[in-house]
Amino acid sequence: MNSPDQTTAANEARVPLAFVATGSVVVLVELGNGIDSMQREQLTSYGLTPNRAISVLQQRPMTVILADEVELALEHQVARHIWVEPVSNARNGN
Amino acid sequence: MHTTTPVNPAVLLVGHPNVGKSVLFHRLTGAYVNVSNYPGTTVEVSHAAARFDAQLTLFDTPGVLSLPSRSDDERATVRALLNEHSRTLVQVGDAKNLRRTLTLTALLAELGLPMVLALNMGDEAAARGVVVDTEQLAEDLGTPVMCTVATGGEGISELIDGMSIATIPSPLLHYDATTEAAISRLAQTIERLAPHPRLAARGLAILYLGGDSEVARWLEDTAGTNYEQLSALRDEAAQSIPDLAAQLGRERAQAADLLAASVVRRSAGSTPLLSQRIGQWVVHPRWSWPILLGVLYVVYEFVGVFGASVLVGLIEKDLFEPIINPAVSAWAKEVAPWPWLADLIAGEYGLWTMGMTYALALILPIVSTFFIAFGILEDSGYFPRLSVIVNRLFAMFGLNGRAVLPMVLGLGCVTMATLTTRILHSPRERLITTFLMALAIPCSAQLGVVLGLLGGISFTATLIWVVAMVGILILAGFLAAKLIPGRRIPLVTELPPIRLPIMGNVLKKTGGRLKWYLIEVIPLFLLGTFIMFLLDRTGALPNIIRAGEPLVAGWLGLPPAASAAFVMGFLRRDFGAAGLFALADQLSPIQAVVGMVTITLFIPCIASLMMIIKEQGWRIALGMLALIVPFAFFVGGVLNQLLHLVW
Repeated sequence: MNSPDQTTAANEARVPLAFVATGSVVVLVELGNGIDSMQREQLTSYGLTPNRAISVLQQRPMTVILADEVELALEHQVARHIWVEPVSNARNGN
Repeated sequence: MHTTTPVNPAVLLVGHPNVGKSVLFHRLTGAYVNVSNYPGTTVEVSHAAARFDAQLTLFDTPGVLSLPSRSDDERATVRALLNEHSRTLVQVGDAKNLRRTLTLTALLAELGLPMVLALNMGDEAAARGVVVDTEQLAEDLGTPVMCTVATGGEGISELIDGMSIATIPSPLLHYDATTEAAISRLAQTIERLAPHPRLAARGLAILYLGGDSEVARWLEDTAGTNYEQLSALRDEAAQSIPDLAAQLGRERAQAADLLAASVVRRSAGSTPLLSQRIGQWVVHPRWSWPILLGVLYVVYEFVGVFGASVLVGLIEKDLFEPIINPAVSAWAKEVAPWPWLADLIAGEYGLWTMGMTYALALILPIVSTFFIAFGILEDSGYFPRLSVIVNRLFAMFGLNGRAVLPMVLGLGCVTMATLTTRILHSPRERLITTFLMALAIPCSAQLGVVLGLLGGISFTATLIWVVAMVGILILAGFLAAKLIPGRRIPLVTELPPIRLPIMGNVLKKTGGRLKWYLIEVIPLFLLGTFIMFLLDRTGALPNIIRAGEPLVAGWLGLPPAASAAFVMGFLRRDFGAAGLFALADQLSPIQAVVGMVTITLFIPCIASLMMIIKEQGWRIALGMLALIVPFAFFVGGVLNQLLHLVW
């Protein structure tokens, strides 16, 4: 698997979670290497695994998301390294 | 440290943080435990006899985010699994988030213990349109599964019945071939070299491969010199499988996803619930600060006005001063064979007239109202959101918003809050938080006295004190972040649903905290009073006042008698503040502000110092002391000079 932190250009659709507009629904692609391994395990146990749908509730002051009825608040420093892609083209506007 | 092991068979409650384990534990035992809507408040494993079977001991373990263990809470849970005579495991899960629940089940199921799955908070799941087919799930897992609402007492009798028919679950997954091979090689070796009396070797092997330090320690202790064989197998597996722990976790999560998807039905398109909307307003970029100010105002009205003036007024001015204390005094004079004994009981520095009066009439009403307010905020789910709001500020201190919980609790009791720093993730965060609390966070008892004295002088006086304390907190935090080596951990936190606190739970918790507080505080108040009495009797007090004069009268510009307050301050900070309060009519506004700032910064009370020693060790505690005491006098003196220039 590619290291997503270095090869973003290779994959046109994926964007960091921190840059997703409030109100949109995205799908998790991968947790990047910029997150230290302890925190990556923590995120996995919160349910942030590939293909998981994530609704973005807020981006300021922190990224707040809803994943499977669990509301999580993440600092941008972490959300910048979480790679997501739009859920499909079904949602207009995003 | 090994937990105490009662001979009775044990039932362990295990589950994620904030899924209602402690409420369920209370339902099943009737015993008091700390229950709260903040992830991570069950710091230690509590146990009690079951209500339905006195032969059975129930253990309430701290919430685990995941296993293998990484945090203190998780390590405590693994220790309980390893050391207690578990007969049955009850996994308490969140009904509205089955995937996460089953990710943990996927590991627990490998331990070879009979198990029951209690899907708690069924009401919240229903409100969100989440329905779990429990019968199908029970069939797939091969263990009883019940839906419970612990706060409302629903499903409890079914759960109790379930415990008696608990069975060893079937595994949720087979790991990929390479991993499976490593697991079974290790499991066979564990079976041979370090078999566990209750837990399956396969479960231990999975935990050990995942890097669980508690299991590693247990295996090392049990296998003795043969441990090298086990560690060699683990190292071999780690070399052939990249990122082994994460790989194991991912495979469990995938298995849980599959199973959850087959038993959960979700009614689509439900509108957000009111509680969800409130939860979002509370952290909203525009509304969060006004809401926070509103919350602070209500807390101030309840604790600062109702507790510190109305209740204190009623108890001290209307009960102790005119009725109880004269009666005790008269009684002491009558029964005491020597006049000094009557003085010791009811004189100027009498155990009753000073020690108990401070403790019961002045401090108790303030801490009671504080703990009630704290409990309501805790159970409502506000604190995790507060940690989001203040995160940016705390980043300046090298901390993240999580440290706000001990800091706010410190406004109630710094000693208790020092213990609560355990919820923080790194030793660096614990050290910085402990230091800032010891320096600049006044406890509620002290806060009551300070606000009482300064509020009586003027709003400006109170404001100067507040600005000085906040300024010092920020400056000290900023310096601590720069000087204490280590990296800051960014905040990742769950925001549990906003819930209406249940008054019964809040009162139970307040009762427990008050009991702890009184047991800790009353002996120290009496000891403090006794030392004051001795100093007074032996004539040492005037000498101390004279010795402290250059510092207290010269540098701080306070009346010489204030030295006595600083002596008392060594015993308890608020005790010292109360001592200054007693001098109130002799103090000018500047003296009052300088005195209160100095005594607030001054060393924490003896009890909190003991707690700092316990949590951080002697060297760090003495270091803090050596830093804080001169600093308090330095700031007091500078403030004295400054105020004389401008006020």
